[in-house]
Amino acid sequence: MAYRYAVAGLGLALMGLGGALLVQQPSPWRIALWLAGAVVVHDGLVAPLVIAVAALTGAFGLRLRGVPRAALIVAGSLTAIALPPLLRPGGTANPTVVPLDYLRNWLLTMAAVALAAGLYAGTRAALRGARRRT
Amino acid sequence: MRFPLRLPADPPVTFKARLHDARTATAVGRWLGLAFAVCFATGVLSHFFQHPPDWLADRLPSRPYWGYRFTQGLHVISGIAAIPLLLAKLWAVYPRLFAWPPLRSVRHALERASVAVLVAAGVFELFTGLLNTFQWYPWPFSFVPVHFALSWLLIGALMVHLAVKWPEIRSHWTRRSPGTLALPASDGPDRRALLAGVAAAVGAVTLTTAGQSVTALGRLDLFAPRDPAVGPQGLPVNRTAKAAGVTATAVRDWRLSVAGPRPYTLTLDELRALPQYEVTLPIACVEGWSKNARWTGVRVRDLLERAGGGPGTGARVESLEPAGAYRVMEMGREYAQDPLTLLALRLNGEELSPDHGHPARIIAPNRPGVLQTKWVARLEVA
Repeated sequence: MAYRYAVAGLGLALMGLGGALLVQQPSPWRIALWLAGAVVVHDGLVAPLVIAVAALTGAFGLRLRGVPRAALIVAGSLTAIALPPLLRPGGTANPTVVPLDYLRNWLLTMAAVALAAGLYAGTRAALRGARRRT
Repeated sequence: MRFPLRLPADPPVTFKARLHDARTATAVGRWLGLAFAVCFATGVLSHFFQHPPDWLADRLPSRPYWGYRFTQGLHVISGIAAIPLLLAKLWAVYPRLFAWPPLRSVRHALERASVAVLVAAGVFELFTGLLNTFQWYPWPFSFVPVHFALSWLLIGALMVHLAVKWPEIRSHWTRRSPGTLALPASDGPDRRALLAGVAAAVGAVTLTTAGQSVTALGRLDLFAPRDPAVGPQGLPVNRTAKAAGVTATAVRDWRLSVAGPRPYTLTLDELRALPQYEVTLPIACVEGWSKNARWTGVRVRDLLERAGGGPGTGARVESLEPAGAYRVMEMGREYAQDPLTLLALRLNGEELSPDHGHPARIIAPNRPGVLQTKWVARLEVA
């Protein structure tokens, strides 16, 4: 119990330090607005989107489980980190900044994820079938 | 486990999806906590290497030479790995957002407030950090101090969260912990499949970005903001000569002036005539990318010594560039006296290209790239 209070106390002190550093910034309210925006975008947009995808597939009688769900998690995560270079407006400081063909790479990884998931599920089904026959 | 959650409006909203439970939150949360801890520690370290306070400047170690490359690479790797983990963690606890009544007591209100700070700071830090690596700044504040301030808020809120949730974490720590056993046993395989998917996602985002700093993964670099192979003389560039306002005319009559008790100036040919050393040192950017290169030039400590700087002196370095936050760079004693620290004239066997700092640049071990001053015009015993 004492440990918990000590950790919580230290945590509060560090939060205080962070808050103190924050209010020294030129426009702390703008930063607070962006912080609130981060929560609103996640809780109001990203999370409902994920749940909507699950609900939609559920409506078609598909329960998102196992390999298809894992494939969607991987594909979604790769898409999340590919979005900044794909959406970034304007030019770059020089040709060595953001130099890759990110759209091609994104399409490649999406295909790779689908292929890997298909192969994995297929192999597993085949193995299970073979086991059942013997 | 089902969450029959009453929202203010009837009918009640039910989260039919399973696995929104404390075992999932614990299993994902401990990896997320580890990622945040690594990211925080490496970030604070980087902050002190990039902006050392006076009391620290002369104590910062110049070894291991790969130290900053390692810690800053890890900073960005752990931050990117935290993205799928944070999303999975927030998914697991999402129904709690709609807890009813929203505030049961003062304690509950405080707990929810700390979670709100934790979520806000977590999402904000990963978002701003990722965009910063792509040099994309859509926000109306300056990145470094705000990212730094919020890291303290985040790690503090994380500690409060851990302290508050400790009994729940402990009772769901393993598959056989009492809390886990109280959950429907049929969820076990489903949860393991979910966790395997999250682990695969962490692996995928890591493998496709870490190549910007981990040489062995270079060929898998698909989404990182840099390709270590792309750049003049085989090395990426952050600030070009043109962007820095360093023109061919400014370089033509270039002299290095060395200030100290016995000041002197040198032409490029005179510098080339001094004893040359070759070192292999990385450029390690605060944005996470890094690459080793072969540098040839004159030892900074030899130049300082000739100007009358004793064995314990640091240096103040000025660039030709007319403006810029890092035009003047202070170099602590450990760096200035390290035999690996050069005023480099050549890179990978060729004269420095303009974008890499022609006619002369600093290269020092265990230092962020912004402090590897290019187009050096003046060196001062400090």
